[in-house]
Amino acid sequence: MEEIIYYLKSELLKKGMDDVIIAFHETEGRQLKFVNNKVVKTGAELISNLSIFCSKDKRIIVTSLKDMQKERADELIKKIFSFSKNISPSNDYFGIANGSFKYSVKSNYDKKILDVDDSDLVKKGINKALENSKRVTGNFEVWNLKTHLVTSGGIDSKDESSNIYFSLRAFNEKDESGHMTCCSNTLKNFEIEKTAERAAEVATMAKNPKEVKAGKYPIILSQMAFAPLLNNTSDATSIYNVESGYSFLPKLNEFYGNFTLEDDATLPNGFNSCKFDDEGVPTKKTTIIDKGILKTYLHNTSTSKKYNTETTANAGLISPRSFNIVFDCKKGDIFDVKEGIYITNVWYTRYQNYASGDFSTIPKDGAFLIKNGEIVQSLKGLRISDNMPNLLKNIQCCNKKVWQIKSWEAEIPTFTSEVLINNVNITKPTH
Amino acid sequence: MHEDIAEFCLKKTQELGCKYVEVRTEKRTSSGFVLKSGNPEITGFDITKGIGIRYLVNNNLGFLSTNNFDKDKILSLMKKSIATTKNSNKISKKIFFSEEKPQKTNYKVIQKQKIENFTEDKKLNILKEIDKHLIKIPQRYLTIGDEVAEKYYINSEGSKISSVIPRISMLYFFTLSQDKKSIQRYLQYGACSGYEIINKWDLIKKIPEEVELLRNNMNDGIKSPKGKMDLVVGSEISGIAVHESVGHPYEADRILGREGAQAGESFVTPEMINTRIGSEIVNVIEDPTIENSYGFYLYDDEGVKANKKYLIKNGMINEFLHNRETAFELKTKSNGCSRANNYDVEPMLRMSNTIVQSGDSSEEEIIKETKKGIYMKSYMQWNIDDKRYHQRYTGCEAYLIEKGEITKPVFAPVMEVTTPTLWSSIDLIGDKIKTYAGNCGKGEPMQGIPVYFGGPVMRLKNIIIQ
Repeated sequence: MEEIIYYLKSELLKKGMDDVIIAFHETEGRQLKFVNNKVVKTGAELISNLSIFCSKDKRIIVTSLKDMQKERADELIKKIFSFSKNISPSNDYFGIANGSFKYSVKSNYDKKILDVDDSDLVKKGINKALENSKRVTGNFEVWNLKTHLVTSGGIDSKDESSNIYFSLRAFNEKDESGHMTCCSNTLKNFEIEKTAERAAEVATMAKNPKEVKAGKYPIILSQMAFAPLLNNTSDATSIYNVESGYSFLPKLNEFYGNFTLEDDATLPNGFNSCKFDDEGVPTKKTTIIDKGILKTYLHNTSTSKKYNTETTANAGLISPRSFNIVFDCKKGDIFDVKEGIYITNVWYTRYQNYASGDFSTIPKDGAFLIKNGEIVQSLKGLRISDNMPNLLKNIQCCNKKVWQIKSWEAEIPTFTSEVLINNVNITKPTH
Repeated sequence: MHEDIAEFCLKKTQELGCKYVEVRTEKRTSSGFVLKSGNPEITGFDITKGIGIRYLVNNNLGFLSTNNFDKDKILSLMKKSIATTKNSNKISKKIFFSEEKPQKTNYKVIQKQKIENFTEDKKLNILKEIDKHLIKIPQRYLTIGDEVAEKYYINSEGSKISSVIPRISMLYFFTLSQDKKSIQRYLQYGACSGYEIINKWDLIKKIPEEVELLRNNMNDGIKSPKGKMDLVVGSEISGIAVHESVGHPYEADRILGREGAQAGESFVTPEMINTRIGSEIVNVIEDPTIENSYGFYLYDDEGVKANKKYLIKNGMINEFLHNRETAFELKTKSNGCSRANNYDVEPMLRMSNTIVQSGDSSEEEIIKETKKGIYMKSYMQWNIDDKRYHQRYTGCEAYLIEKGEITKPVFAPVMEVTTPTLWSSIDLIGDKIKTYAGNCGKGEPMQGIPVYFGGPVMRLKNIIIQ
């Protein structure tokens, strides 16, 4: 394998490419999907991929090699050069990282992770949830990822990571459900029963839901509900999205609300923590929004040169992206409201306009009316229809219950606690 | 297409004790280009090849995938995978498939302008030509992509199916702004075709025309009137509504709870077959066999022959979408809706082309018949809950209708309505169908699958506009 990596790099440079990045990834993993208390599918995969990024005279080509043989590599090299002749230069491209870097982050690798008894773990989760719910549905995944990155910028580094993920949705009667997920790099921090217990607890609390009047409410978002919105916020800080019109955070050094947002690929248990980004720059913690002030967008080397700043080590070679999102704000009693709504999950967050931040999202699973700090009624059939900059500015406080969320609606792992947000617009169907 | 490896996998998986086995080998050759505000950002090409094997052992379902064609490696993975499936037996559901006729066939979509002969500069030039007409818009984003999917499918019941399906897709996204107002527009085009489809789409003409209409809407659009009135919806809204609130809730795997922790369940229950969901003039079809459609296929990924089916007939729920697993469970036959978006993921129950059938009114007649209302031609936002019951659509290009005439543009009218109300409120249906391309998400890991959704202009009586 290594022979092919070095061969590709040297041949591409010898034949005239300016920049070359070769990344080898190998994933070995398993999955158990369960529905109505029973496993309905097991899965296993072994996939390897050698991805290639190269540029010549600012012409960028992205491709990959799947057959790791010299003959196939030669064919690919020919195709890359013929392709490069037919495309136009990208005026926004300014090269890749150069240098000999030292990597201080340790690999998040648990050798034993693929040795777990999947069925035993899943059974524990299912049984725990069934103590407080009638049926459960969800997913379990475990995998190892090996990476070897070689670049024309002098980088030759390897990384290994292990990942384990569990998602469980618990149901009782109609419209009574709760959902929770957990993810980890190590078995030690993988709290499957606590996750199942929380999902079932919400399903139990959601008993006999009723509709609520549309209007403005203070809302409390659980970790599951807030993580998708923080994913959107983090996406809006990628410089690529800012340029493309996909960002509601248009100005640096502006105030966007009383909170701090970080991207941190160095966290010991960050699900996406890794030694280096896609061009080999050592990962680091970046404070994107510091006490409300937007301090930086996420950059790779090329975009940072365009904007005369430093890379934040968030390559994505085309579009910089977050690894692990970390949210924090003032601590307080999040249930200290006269009348508010506690939302434990959201679904289908969609934007009317990414630039203005007008959006709506649908509370899913348990939602609750709060009166004088107490849950008084389970709710259904509501929708948050508001504006993201307004919502961020109305953040009041959070509690200390930090949970790392990765879910169907929040692909970027997000460390957040539950948060109180004032004056949020709630709508509902008119028929 | 690696027939030998597929046969090897079938034989070995059976030898390891699996009663039912199906093997897909796939090769996908693709390329893609992005022009961001006039600048070529991404240009790439790729070939993916691999094997996906699905099996039943002790009637427990397992799936494995690899792109390593080394027989020893495949065998090792196969053994590990089957061991995992067997180990799950104590907590697994017994899975059975409906009996279906084995199929032996091969088919391909004919391309007039073949993807393989269409050079990179020509593809990029398509984007550049469109971009010339949009140069005054600072934020604009255009993409073009193509793929040729070659597939070889065999199963232990004797099916053997080869297919070659080319796909072309384009997407545009732009932001118009004036003073403090802004409007964004995103639309995807797609077809199973060669590059001849580009002329038919005629985006050089259509996008600039749309830009002017939306600029007019943004600058001169009045605040949306609120309250009860008639709502005329364009084909784009008929299309998204039929996909989200008819196609999805009629997927039998959702009805049975299989997507409960992912894409959601359904407000529809098996007992609702032959009950009323819409007005008598509403008919909805689901048809993968439409030539050149984005969701085209003739045999699904369980080897079942695809066909046209009526999800709603004369306003009544008529048929669900089935794969072999749901068909067995609901005591019927599969109607060929099993699809995987690549070799490395399990086939799942998916839509293809979901379309509201046309009626007998022209667009002009529908508007003329409307005393007071709104014409919502396109949308800029929609969403729907995970049971597919509560939905919301925000108009993009929209107009006020007064005394049977379009009078003024309206800015961002909102309809928030339940599924039965939406389909029961329809009293006029247009005579022309338009279809739209999309990539529908489902499963974990998420699979985006190409689909069409569409329909004619429709009038909804007495809808509350917010």
